Amino acid sequence: MSITVRLATPLRAAAGGSATLSFDAPDVSALVRQIADRYPELATRVLRDGEFGRFVNVFVDGEDVRFLEGDGDLRGKRVVEILPAMSGG
Amino acid sequence: MATTLERTTALRGFRCRACQLLQPADERYVCSDCYGPIEPEYDLAALDPDLLREEITRGPRSLWRYAPLLPVAEPASHYTVGWTPLHLAPRLGAAIGVERLYLKDDSRNPSLSFKDRPVALALARALAVGLDTLACASTGNLAGAVAAAAARNGLRAFVFVPEATDESKVAGAAAYGATVVRVRGTYDQVNRLCARLADEEHWGFVNFTLRPYYAEGSKTLLFETAEQLDWTLPDHVVVPVGSGALLTRTATAVTQLRSARLVDDTPCRIHAAQPVGCAPVSDAVLEGFREVRPVRAPTTVARSLAIGTPADGDGSVAAIRASGGSAAAVTDEDVLDSCALLARTEGVLAEPAGGVVVAAARALAKRNAFQGGESVVLYITGNAYKGQPVSGPLGPVIGADADEFRGAYVDELR
Repeated sequence: MSITVRLATPLRAAAGGSATLSFDAPDVSALVRQIADRYPELATRVLRDGEFGRFVNVFVDGEDVRFLEGDGDLRGKRVVEILPAMSGG
Repeated sequence: MATTLERTTALRGFRCRACQLLQPADERYVCSDCYGPIEPEYDLAALDPDLLREEITRGPRSLWRYAPLLPVAEPASHYTVGWTPLHLAPRLGAAIGVERLYLKDDSRNPSLSFKDRPVALALARALAVGLDTLACASTGNLAGAVAAAAARNGLRAFVFVPEATDESKVAGAAAYGATVVRVRGTYDQVNRLCARLADEEHWGFVNFTLRPYYAEGSKTLLFETAEQLDWTLPDHVVVPVGSGALLTRTATAVTQLRSARLVDDTPCRIHAAQPVGCAPVSDAVLEGFREVRPVRAPTTVARSLAIGTPADGDGSVAAIRASGGSAAAVTDEDVLDSCALLARTEGVLAEPAGGVVVAAARALAKRNAFQGGESVVLYITGNAYKGQPVSGPLGPVIGADADEFRGAYVDELR
C-alpha cells in the first residue's frame, strides 16, 4: 500500500531535503500518524491537532483530500501532494 | 519620535499569521518556520499622522499615494492604477432600501477590474528582483490584469484559467499577448497545477511566489474609500468574496489606518457577498461563524467568485466577526437583476460580481443590518465589458497536470 508524498520546495528542508517521501498507509489518518512519527519537523509545519492544517492544501491523485470518499481511504491511490493554501481570483 | 516621510515604505518585515514570527521581507512567500501565511507589517505608530496625511494628499492620483503603507516602491514603467471614483448612489440606494449608499467603482482600472491593484504591487516586486515572466491562477479578471501589466512592461506572461472561464476574459488576456492556458476542471484544479508550477519555474507567480506583495494591493480600495470620505471609515463595506483576499485585506487596511491615526477609531463593519452556488464564506458566517467548508463544484453566473476552497476563507469569517459585520448569499437570478438595476439607476455597468454585491446589500438592508444615515460602501470590482471584440491565439485545453502543460506548450516555454 505504498504511497508517495510530494513536497513543495519550502517544505523539503523539514524532511531532510527530500522532494518525495514514501509511506505505507491505508488511509489519511495512518499517513498523518506516520508523518508525525517519522518526520517530526515536517509535522510541525503541515499538521495541526493531529490533522493536516488549514494552511496547506492536500491532494490525493489530484483530488482535494477534503472531498475524498470513503473516510480518507488511500488504497489504490498513488500520489499525495502537500501545497501551500493560496488562491487568486 | 515622529519620522519625516519621503514616500518610502514603513515596512518592518513579514509577520506569520499562524505563529506570529516576524521575518525578513525577501523572496519567501510562506513562513520559514511553520509554513503559515505571511503578511507585511509596518512601523505605523512612529509616523506623524498629519505629515502622513499631507504626503498622501500630495501624492500621485493612483494607489501609489499610499507608498508608506505599501511594501514596495512604484515602478517607473507602469501605468496608473487605482484612485477610482467613490460615487454617492441615491437612486440605487432608494431602490434597495439604503439611505446613504456609495459605489467604489473599481471597474475603472486599466484592465477593467480591481485586480490591477494587487498586480501593480506584484509587478513592482517582480521588476525589483529582475524576473522576466509573470504568471497566475485566475478565474478571469486576474488573468487580464497580469497579461496587461506584463505587456506594458515587456515581460512574458502565462495565465492559467478554468476551461469554463468567460470567453471575453480569455480573449482579453490573449489579446494582451499572454499565453492563456485553459485547464479542465474547477478553479481549485487550476490552483493546484499553479502551486506546483510556482514551485518549479522561476516565474513571478503573482498569487503564489509574489503573494505577500500581491495581496497588499487589495488594501488600497479601503484606503481610497476612507480618504474620499474625508478621512473617515465607512460604517459598512460590502465586499465580494472569491478567495477572500480582498475582504481580509480590507480589514487589514482598517487596522492600519487606525494604527497610523489617519482615521478615528469608529466601527467599520465588513460584510461578505457571495452567490448561493459558491458561498462557503457567507454560509459559515450565517451559520454562527463556523469553520469554512469547501464547495467542490461551484455553479454560479458570477464566475469571478467561483472559488470553492478560498485560501482566505477562515480569515474572512474571523475578520467579519471582529468587525461586527455579516454576510449574504444571493441567487443567480437576483444577481442578474441587480446588475441591471445598478446600470439603470446609476449608470455603472458591472460584471455579475457587482450584481452579487448589490443583491447582498439589499438582503442585508432587509435584515436591518444598516441603521438610518450610516454610510454603506459597495465594492464594484469588475466591468461588464471585458475586451469582447479583440482576441489572440489560444493554445489547447489541458488537464491540471504539470507534465501535460510542458508537453503542450513547448514553444511558449522556450
